[in-house]
Amino acid sequence: MKGLIYKDILCLKKQFINFCFVLIGVVIVSIMYVLSAKYGNLARAGAQMLSETENHLTKIDVKNLGSIALALFMLLPIAVVGDITNAFIQDGTSGFHKISGMLPVSIEKRVLARFLSIYALFAMGVLVDLCLAGILSVLTDLMTFAEFFGIIISAASVMSIFSALAIFYCFLLGYGKEQYAMLLSILTMIIFFILLNFGKVKTLFRIMSGALPEPERADGSLMMWDAFDFLKEKAWILLMAAVIVSILSYGSSLVIAKRKRGMI
Amino acid sequence: MEEIKKVIELKDVTKDYGDFKLNAISFCVPEGSVCGFIGQNGAGKTTTINLILDVIKRDAGEIWVFGESIDQDSAHLRENIGVVFAEMGFHEFMTGKDINTMMKNIYKNWDEEIFFTYLKRFSLPSKKRCGAFSRGMQMKLQIAVALSHHAKMLIMDEPTSGLDPIVRNEMLDIFREFVVEEDHTILLSSHITADLEKLADEVVFIDGGRIILTGNKDEILEKHGLLKCRKEDADKVSESLIIHKEISSLGAEILINDRRAAAKLYPDFIIEPASLEQIMLHYVSRER
Repeated sequence: MKGLIYKDILCLKKQFINFCFVLIGVVIVSIMYVLSAKYGNLARAGAQMLSETENHLTKIDVKNLGSIALALFMLLPIAVVGDITNAFIQDGTSGFHKISGMLPVSIEKRVLARFLSIYALFAMGVLVDLCLAGILSVLTDLMTFAEFFGIIISAASVMSIFSALAIFYCFLLGYGKEQYAMLLSILTMIIFFILLNFGKVKTLFRIMSGALPEPERADGSLMMWDAFDFLKEKAWILLMAAVIVSILSYGSSLVIAKRKRGMI
Repeated sequence: MEEIKKVIELKDVTKDYGDFKLNAISFCVPEGSVCGFIGQNGAGKTTTINLILDVIKRDAGEIWVFGESIDQDSAHLRENIGVVFAEMGFHEFMTGKDINTMMKNIYKNWDEEIFFTYLKRFSLPSKKRCGAFSRGMQMKLQIAVALSHHAKMLIMDEPTSGLDPIVRNEMLDIFREFVVEEDHTILLSSHITADLEKLADEVVFIDGGRIILTGNKDEILEKHGLLKCRKEDADKVSESLIIHKEISSLGAEILINDRRAAAKLYPDFIIEPASLEQIMLHYVSRER
């Protein structure tokens, strides 16, 4: 099985190279961002936002805006390593599924290898992000290390859910339909998100369409900060969801792979 | 008398794809032999090989490999099987070194020394991407992989098709070396009967998803013959001897199933030995 993980990681080597470039970029941009937020244009922009009374922004709002921007940079390395469909595309193009069928590796292990390959890359992404978070939390007061940690785990969990769904759809649809698998994974996640947060999504739409009266609109705006706090403080919920989705996806992928045999 | 060990045995194996059906095929491959699996393109050779390797699921029948049913745990059986396909299957970006690292983490008996020795012998650069290899080199790479984990059996699906005669001969030499060991067996599927004539001990003819002839190659070549006569004489030949006859303006060519008997019965007719290709062509024509 280790050999198949090695092969998958080779398949994702291009992503790994992108990962290195993105990482260097993220480190540079993050440091520039922190310096600018302390002494440069971002600091001035924050002060200006606070001085303009029609914005109704508090110091916490400005800090949160800064934190969100920084968190987005931080998540790029994880997002770059997280596309397992490339391994399926490469296997399909080379015809490796024929070879994997003749290897002395059970179907269970072959399917598991796919999951472990992507989680190995995620683990690497998380590790690098945590190092970066350690540095940034010392350099800036935008977020503590614990908050960075929460954000990183939340992002890794969301990406894991996406990858687990993508693997399932790749097995279900077969080789050559990886784009559809990605699309279906995103759609599934969006549908679940809307179903689980129907009320909030409805309010958000009403805010965006201007249908909500002013006092309620202000309350609704707080939802964004709530969501951000959720990612920082309740990452374990997303982590649990990722574990459950991964187990379900592995089980279903295994059933499909056993039926299709040659398709893994 | 010691019973011949069968390393592959198929009994009434059926696979129905709708537009193509492998129809209750049965045959066995004895240990230590080279079995030529002959049939034209689309006859069902690859499907049969995939069924033996448990890569596709059969609809009915039984398959045993090394005496064990593949329903038990086919993965461990594959430790002892080396497989070579007509197309390489390795990722184009992989080098010999990458393949070695992958395979040594898959096969328990992987021998990297043997692998690199084969790469050297076949003049395959270990650091070059295999996508840049010629077709002959890609086949040699597959053979190097198949021979580097101490496999007891090689299963090859059209390994020589599309190769030039020199590379084909080189490959046949390698296969001969492999079967020098008593317990080493080869199942070699091909539509190039000349290769099988040089190498095979046993042959299995398949056509349209049905086994049409199976047995020892020498016995098959010994028994069958091509009787050539004028077309008006063709009716004189006993029906019990005829497998298939082809009448043309030039005369009649009849594939007969007992060359010696025919020679005694018809001393005036020319009876020539038939090649595997001629036998295959006549059997296929008869089936149609």
